[in-house]
Amino acid sequence: MIVIYLLLPLALVVTVTFLILFVWATRDGQFDDVRTPQIRVMFDDDHVPPATPKEPSPTRVERKPS
Amino acid sequence: MAAPRSSQPNDQRPDRVCEHCGLPVPGNRAPNAEGLYFCCGGCEAVYGVIRTAGLDRYYDLRLDDQNRPALPAAPSGSSFAQFDDPTFQAAHVKPQGDLGLIDLYVEGVHCTACVWLIEKLPQLVPGVVSVRLDFGRSVAQVLFDPDQIRLSEIAARLDAFGYTPHPFRAADRRTLRRREEHRLLIRLGVAGAAAGNVMLIAVALYAGAGEDPGVAHLFRWVSMLVTVPAVLWAGIPFFRGAWAGLRARTLHMDVPVSLALIGATASSSVHTLLGRGDVYFDSVAMLTFLLLLARWLQVRALRAASDASELLLSLTPSRARIVEADGSVREVAVDGVLTGQVVEVRAGESIPVDGVVVQGQSRIDNALLTGEPLPVEIAIGSEVNAGAQNVSARVRVRVTATGENTRVGRLLQAVSEAQRRRAPIVRLADRVASYFVLGVLLLAGISAALWWGHGPEIVTARVVAMLVVTCPCALGLATPLALAHALGLAARRGIFVKGADTVEALAHVTNVVLDKTGTLTHGRVTLTAFDGSDELLTRVAVLETHSSHPFALALVSAAPRDARRLDVDEVVDTVGGGVQGRVEGDRMIVGSPTFIAQQVGEIGSEWRSRIQAVAARGASPVLVMVGGRIAALAVFEDPLRADSAAAVAALRRLRLDLEISSGDHPTAVEQVARAVGIAASAAHGAVSPEGKLGHIERLTEQGRDVAMIGDGANDAAALAAARVGIAVRGGAELSLATADVFLTHPGLMPAVELIRGCRAALGVVRRNLGLSLVYNLITASLALAGWIGPLLAAVLMPISSLVVVLSSILSRPFPRARAGSQPEPAAHPGQSASEREVVA
Repeated sequence: MIVIYLLLPLALVVTVTFLILFVWATRDGQFDDVRTPQIRVMFDDDHVPPATPKEPSPTRVERKPS
Repeated sequence: MAAPRSSQPNDQRPDRVCEHCGLPVPGNRAPNAEGLYFCCGGCEAVYGVIRTAGLDRYYDLRLDDQNRPALPAAPSGSSFAQFDDPTFQAAHVKPQGDLGLIDLYVEGVHCTACVWLIEKLPQLVPGVVSVRLDFGRSVAQVLFDPDQIRLSEIAARLDAFGYTPHPFRAADRRTLRRREEHRLLIRLGVAGAAAGNVMLIAVALYAGAGEDPGVAHLFRWVSMLVTVPAVLWAGIPFFRGAWAGLRARTLHMDVPVSLALIGATASSSVHTLLGRGDVYFDSVAMLTFLLLLARWLQVRALRAASDASELLLSLTPSRARIVEADGSVREVAVDGVLTGQVVEVRAGESIPVDGVVVQGQSRIDNALLTGEPLPVEIAIGSEVNAGAQNVSARVRVRVTATGENTRVGRLLQAVSEAQRRRAPIVRLADRVASYFVLGVLLLAGISAALWWGHGPEIVTARVVAMLVVTCPCALGLATPLALAHALGLAARRGIFVKGADTVEALAHVTNVVLDKTGTLTHGRVTLTAFDGSDELLTRVAVLETHSSHPFALALVSAAPRDARRLDVDEVVDTVGGGVQGRVEGDRMIVGSPTFIAQQVGEIGSEWRSRIQAVAARGASPVLVMVGGRIAALAVFEDPLRADSAAAVAALRRLRLDLEISSGDHPTAVEQVARAVGIAASAAHGAVSPEGKLGHIERLTEQGRDVAMIGDGANDAAALAAARVGIAVRGGAELSLATADVFLTHPGLMPAVELIRGCRAALGVVRRNLGLSLVYNLITASLALAGWIGPLLAAVLMPISSLVVVLSSILSRPFPRARAGSQPEPAAHPGQSASEREVVA
């Protein structure tokens, strides 16, 4: 059972890593539009249009002069 | 007297559907050279372009999506010149190196094939680098090369396909809302990660790992380190809600939730530090996760509506053209226009200010303000209001009021005032929760008293066990889940509900006030009777192609399309009167009875009585003169929607009191009331926007729960004042912005389904609340008896949540979409931009 003293912290490290990835993906806006990708995947006839530059994420959004 | 021969303008061949949009083909349209049928010229042109570019796959994709409403390609025909204006570009285009990026809200996106076609734009238009369309919001992100193509050309191309683009204006609001949504999602993720891991540790503990004191100690410490920060941070929305509730002296759901979370976390932490006693970390973490999940689902379900109302901002005019003293025209933001200046309004644009016409004459469509479906004539000296649509020609207007001082601005103020005055809705779940909190506190007190003799340690253990098992997790899940489920099903049927409270309010509605124009009727004129030959109708139509009056458009689309070209010359279009000209050598005049009377001096008594009969039933008569003799009478009406009568009957079956309140002429209103089966005494005509508002407020004072169903901005204040405001498709932007619900499918039937669905959804909420209360009663008795430990709590809690989740998800507040619920096709292919669906 000694190994649990190593495995448990290790498991926590894995958890935190994935949590950080999840936070990054959310801030990046990857969960903002969950409808179009499921449609886009059906357009299998040719190459998918190249991705546009990502929208500025809210963390570093520039206010537009308006 | 010749029997008037009915000439149905939307007489359709049921066996023919448009090759492009799939709508029925009007009977009078001939096939093209390849023998294919189209519902309108727009569709035919688009079909040609798509075929030529080798993008036929559009039509295959479209077949996958049969249950989506079809829309004909109806280009707005705008020039989009303002898209090239430097100030416009500075405001909306984000430079990306040499390229430009712009967010465009595109109207008319309704199916998979639309996504495909719009994203294929780079293949059709050189200079466009890429297009990404967000289907849910109809916002396209276009990356283009400004050196190769002008933005206006891109916009015109999209428009030609029937996707009218508008600059996306709600970017700031969207960013704010997105940030909030991101935060909630991250909280959910953190709570979920903590719950998952702590559960694993707890299972190991319960399975016997705790027998080794060292391992048990480690497990408890790790659980605490994971749970405490996760719960304290992820649970902030609940703590904040509870605090706000306490300060407002109300006990709502967040109070018992926070009590359980904090109580259990604190006592478990103390027990961990002391090294003895029970810990509830797994239950606490799971609780937080499930409650956040319910909250998040609810936010998701409401998002569809807020997305759609944000897009509406993109449709309102934000720019005006100022005419300088030297005669030059400069485009500025509406905020920069001053009283006394002169602005230019081109045909097809919205008037941005209140003012007086100083140059030009035209027709304006006041439907936004008055609900009047027919455009009115304006000339020098006429007053015009912001928000009206300039239909036919360019005019210049001296500004008398801008912004908040315009009539629309004052109306909007009335709207926000009405919203403020409206009593807040006390939700069923919150009412239950306030009793619940008292009950839990009482039980905890009894529990403490019962176990008082067993020492402080046992007492705290019992009280904490009581708090944990009675935590209203199921109660907290019950309402949001049932509502989110109902809202999601509604959105799939084109019904967008903006607030969760609305579902409950709708279920309690007792009175329904209906608007006429655009709600019960189509909101645009159609030729309903013509007592001349087809030959004559064709001639009239050919003459009328030279006019932009709505009667002219209705005539043209009703006439049989003849391949033969007719010679027309000497055409004179008299604004406010009619059109005259020479067709195939015959002198013809088509115009209003007054105009014809001016031309011939006197109209025969037989014609006069017929004209009076037509006017008496609320329709508009137009006379046709050939060679100095009156030859035919054309009757124009705003026809009833096909489903209006059925919907009114269905509403009545729901035991609702129905009334009509309209700005239109009382005779016309009574006529419609009779046709749909509403008593003439409940049909009010010639009601001003303020009058509608007053009427709703009077009903509310009498203790009735009123739902208002309307479409125009003249309904906006009434929509806001009513307990529930429902805006129907084709409505003015203003009414959509203030309504609690809006329907994107035409007709009233969705409103009926909505009220029925809300009643069913409230039933599910009640069932859920009942289930969770019974469950809590049982567990509370167990806790009182001292039989609940951490293990039993961890097992019981998810079971109650599961029961509620299943009860919500298995319910069907809205019947499944049937083939018969297809939206009715538009009567005219060339409808206005606002008439097209706002949200797919």
